[in-house]
Amino acid sequence: MVTLDATPIKDWIESLPKNDTIEKLKRLNEVLFTDPDPQVGQTPKEVIWTKNKAKLYRYRPYKEKTNKVPILMIYALINKPYILDLYPGNSFIEYLTDRGHDVYLLDWGTAGFEDRHMKLEDYIVDYIPRAARKVLKHSGAKEITMFGYCMGGTMTAIFTALYQKKLPIRNLILLTSPIDFQDAGLYTNWLDKRYFKLDHIVETFGNVPFEFIDFGNKLLNPLSNTVGVYVNIASNVDNEEKILNWKLMQKWLNDGVPFPGEAYRQWIRDFYQENKLINDELEIRGERVLLSNITANLLNIVATRDNIVLPQQIKPLNEKVSSKNKTLHIVSAGHVSVITGKRAVAEQYPYIEQWISDNSK
Amino acid sequence: MVQSSFDVFTLWKEIYNKTENIWNNTLQETLEKKIFAESLGQIQSQYVQYQELVNKLTESYLKQANLPTRDEIANVASLIINVDSKIDQLEDEFDAQRDRIIKEIENLRKSVSSLEKKLDKVIELLNQTLEAAEESKTSIAAAGNKTVSK
Repeated sequence: MVTLDATPIKDWIESLPKNDTIEKLKRLNEVLFTDPDPQVGQTPKEVIWTKNKAKLYRYRPYKEKTNKVPILMIYALINKPYILDLYPGNSFIEYLTDRGHDVYLLDWGTAGFEDRHMKLEDYIVDYIPRAARKVLKHSGAKEITMFGYCMGGTMTAIFTALYQKKLPIRNLILLTSPIDFQDAGLYTNWLDKRYFKLDHIVETFGNVPFEFIDFGNKLLNPLSNTVGVYVNIASNVDNEEKILNWKLMQKWLNDGVPFPGEAYRQWIRDFYQENKLINDELEIRGERVLLSNITANLLNIVATRDNIVLPQQIKPLNEKVSSKNKTLHIVSAGHVSVITGKRAVAEQYPYIEQWISDNSK
Repeated sequence: MVQSSFDVFTLWKEIYNKTENIWNNTLQETLEKKIFAESLGQIQSQYVQYQELVNKLTESYLKQANLPTRDEIANVASLIINVDSKIDQLEDEFDAQRDRIIKEIENLRKSVSSLEKKLDKVIELLNQTLEAAEESKTSIAAAGNKTVSK
């Protein structure tokens, strides 16, 4: 959210003759400049483990835990995880805990300059398995459900492929997680080795600033992401519910964290530029990642209007895994609306919750 | 008093909706071109070079002012993270040892319990043998007494 002194604008609006348009303009000024940010991530939680900047949360359910298999959520390194617990009534985590699920989330925190040498494999080998063990121990459960969103889902899939035989991973749920980078849409062009000076960027920045990555994401749909968002809120400025949802989304979209340098280098080079994962060429700490090692029950969710992770980047996973129980669930939504908003609450939440319940008995 | 008037927001939205597709198609065509990717790469390179210059100047200034640079502060943070990692490893090791000890104690408990049962059985058998011996002793003595009294 933009923070600046809006008093002169407010004074100017106040001086204008009063009518509907001026009232709306006044409200729009408040929405854009003076209203406080909405409070996100309100589901009660406790920290059960920390490592460097990462924290493992356990969400305290309002209702008795009835599901024996705990859920561990893994999120992307570049955003904050509260998209999964956005606001009461619009929170996937709240929805699950209210239905007796035991939910844990690994929050990566904000990488500092000292973390610029952290690779993806450090997170996949040193953090996720430990977090999974902590969850199993804390919950006293015999099996675990892994849930990954966006890039966090890619990391979760790699982790599952490497640890399927070492840890009791019963279910794997992936939400808009890229696996095949053969055709990554506009990014395939923009990240072309001939033009995109990856090493120069990483060595200069250390950690790649969020704004740098956000610029690329916004450029995917420049008009809608710049003018469109303001047109949208201006035309709905008399609808408080829409204002709240708009503020929540803007807060999350503009509230990212820097991408640890080496992890960024690995992500762009090994995935976008060399597409190693789907071709069984990716090595994590010297061990080859074979997606065919995944035997857990799989729910792979594709959002057809997602322009950050395209459907063709997600679908091939189902052909690679060895899971007997695998579902490719295709929904008409965008990268974010797949998990937030009225439609997500009405359609996606019940579907995922039912799938988890059915596969956790 | 609030007067009704021409709504500029609705007009704005209508204009946007009507022109969005045309603009989007034009923009999309441009964004997909190789030349755009090349230009984007050049802009990025220039921005990164500028950032590199800023980094060098800042570092040089901090050194001259006898202030710690970002690298030096990061090195201290790394040392703390290393200690944190070691504590984590120790915790894991401790957990593993504790689990192993708990398992061993459990096995020992089972062994002792099984031994106890066996001992109880042995004692029971011994008692039965002793009782049987006592009984046979008594009956032999009774038979002897009968013979003597005859």
